[in-house]
Amino acid sequence: MDLNYTPEDVAFRKSVRAWLEQNLPRNPIRTLEERRVWHRRLYEGGYLGMGWPKAYGGGDARPMEQAIVADELARASAPAPTNGLGLGIVGPTIVVHGTDAQKTRYLRKILAAEELWCQLYSEPNAGSDLAALRTRAEDKGDHFIVNGQKTWTSAGSIADWGLLLARTDPAVAKHKGITCFLINMRQPGIEVRPLKQITGSSEFSEVFMTSARVEKTDQIGRLGEGWAIAQTTLGYERGGRALARITSYASQYGRLVEVARRLKRHGRPLIDDPVIRQKLGRIWAELEVERYGALRTLTLLERGEHPGAGGSLTKLSYSEFEKRFMEMAMEILGPYGQLTEGAPEELRLEIDTAVGEQGTWAYAFLWSRAGTIYAGSSEIQKNVIGERILGLPKETRADRVGGAR
Amino acid sequence: MNFSFSEDQVLLRNSVRSFLDEHCRPAHPRAMMDDARGYDPALWNEMAKLGWLGLPVPEQHGGAGLGLVELCIAIEELGRAAYPGPYLATVVLGGLGLLLGGSAAQKDRWLPAIASGEKRASAALMEDALDWDPASTAATAVTAGDGWTISGVKRFVPWAHVADIVLVPARSPEGLSLFLVDPKQAGVALRRMVGIDLCSRWSEMRIESVRVGADAVVGQPGTAGPVLESLLRRAAVCASAEMLGAARRCLDMSVEYAKVREQFGQPIGSFQAIRHRCAEMLLEVENSHSAVYYAAWALEAGAEDAAVAASICKSYVSESARRVCGDSIQVHGGIGFTWEYDLHLYMKRAKALEPLFGDAEFHRELITRHVVGAR
Repeated sequence: MDLNYTPEDVAFRKSVRAWLEQNLPRNPIRTLEERRVWHRRLYEGGYLGMGWPKAYGGGDARPMEQAIVADELARASAPAPTNGLGLGIVGPTIVVHGTDAQKTRYLRKILAAEELWCQLYSEPNAGSDLAALRTRAEDKGDHFIVNGQKTWTSAGSIADWGLLLARTDPAVAKHKGITCFLINMRQPGIEVRPLKQITGSSEFSEVFMTSARVEKTDQIGRLGEGWAIAQTTLGYERGGRALARITSYASQYGRLVEVARRLKRHGRPLIDDPVIRQKLGRIWAELEVERYGALRTLTLLERGEHPGAGGSLTKLSYSEFEKRFMEMAMEILGPYGQLTEGAPEELRLEIDTAVGEQGTWAYAFLWSRAGTIYAGSSEIQKNVIGERILGLPKETRADRVGGAR
Repeated sequence: MNFSFSEDQVLLRNSVRSFLDEHCRPAHPRAMMDDARGYDPALWNEMAKLGWLGLPVPEQHGGAGLGLVELCIAIEELGRAAYPGPYLATVVLGGLGLLLGGSAAQKDRWLPAIASGEKRASAALMEDALDWDPASTAATAVTAGDGWTISGVKRFVPWAHVADIVLVPARSPEGLSLFLVDPKQAGVALRRMVGIDLCSRWSEMRIESVRVGADAVVGQPGTAGPVLESLLRRAAVCASAEMLGAARRCLDMSVEYAKVREQFGQPIGSFQAIRHRCAEMLLEVENSHSAVYYAAWALEAGAEDAAVAASICKSYVSESARRVCGDSIQVHGGIGFTWEYDLHLYMKRAKALEPLFGDAEFHRELITRHVVGAR
């Protein structure tokens, strides 16, 4: 056991930091085009697609190098690149499951943000029970025709392409009849409608597919293999963001402490109130425990091992922590925490959001409700942990026998 | 960066575990509940022969010269077996206390005797103010000849009734000082304090005008503060390791039980109400593992964040172990509430350690002090 970073890692971190000092955008990013410019600068710096093969524009970098870059970006409150799903989910899926032709066709354009991607998984009646999805893809000889509705599609409104799960065989058991495709979003059969969330903003969309076309060459993996592929893609992002996530929390914690110094109650700063100090101590302890866990994950990844179902523990842990953190921040800030505007300027209540944008505590609080739902809710993670790690018996389920319909 | 045990560390864990699986089955702590000493000297000597009593003691003093990570690995296993005996008191409070602050002569005299199993030790870190901050010490040491006369009342002194030497903080004219006191000497009165864990022994220690020589002071008089703070951190992390072991045992028993216990015609582990609870228990156990071994490594390596890591560890594990052990009783239902079933051995061990060396609240204030500064 040695929790020191190697001299190489320390030197690498320094080089990333120096690059960021030179290249970080001086002004806030306001448009998609500005974000594309920043994205390309990151890519030219060698900081996107780091773990992908060099042959397809990647960097063949170690997990620790990827984690350090993400961590330094978080530390500098750098804006996120665009194409988050292309980088985080779609690209890695193509790297692992795609054909050479697919890799050549798609990967570089993801890295250069020439084509932006979304993920078409969830449906109105297929949330936690994703395998119940009903979107149909019918074989028409040289292509498929897709009909159905998707929801919770991040970046749906700007995407050029989508990673799609659709049912190709309704006669077999539901997990076995699903196939994975790449679908062109810029075609007449696709309609995208923004979905307004409790935050008031619309990071997600609903996508309606009416006789939309998918080329045969854009099928990923074999027919009926879609469910297995989806199981692996959900875990890709977690290692690389492991440290960065904690660093973002730590920067928000720093802001919270600053506000607690400025806010006064009963004539004294909140920071001197023993009750507030207990809360701050509790958050920091939990935040650091998340960081220790991230170091364990990185240890596995560095050895070339995959955390497997252990990824469910990690996701359950940080998403539930984030909720507790934001609830406690709201308790500490009182009604100021809920303000979206009109806060006294001298309190300086603004914070950086997880993707480096200026935001409010109110927004971060509301957004913290998403983490325990997306990418497998906490309840689903606990099922995975119970069954695959602890070996507890599966529950009797009505849907494990017979066809999907 | 490598947050995993080395082969040697895995070997140590396995050997401690398999030894305790054989020699410290649940019948053993049960047998010790009514024993006047509360521990088995034969088992103690076996542990000495295996080198466990000298794990952190340098080789020149007859020990293995290993670090805090290895010590925590062994202690986690002791917790997993609800081992009854003065291990933490002797090896951590006594052994590490002397290593941190003792003179060459004191180390020569006591460390080999600790490692060989011949002598047992403890430390009296708590008074009736119930404050773990060494600065709260009220016991006094008045200069008398070339030595001191010590007076004070200490509470919750672990295993003082079988200790040959107890480290006693007291205020001397020079300031906060640390003394070696023989609990059997005249003027020291021990009274047993019986808690719910009958396998953890505590005493009230009344010290009335007890004379000690010049050689009884640990380190320079007036300089005990930093030594006691270091010792408190190490004790807090080691106690956390023991709580972690108890919690892991409770989790393991719950999972096994949930697989075989049937209600409504199926194993209760197939119900999400039980399965989700077990998943949450595993999460707390794994996070506790991270907290314990990060802190142990940080203290050993002298990392910048070692002090705050120790407080993070104790505050986190104190509450997690309580929850996991409590939840294990809930998973078991009625059987978990019986004396006959073994679950309470581990649950009570974790509970006994929860307030020792600072509870979650005490350490959370320390964390806040480290991170944002003092009030």
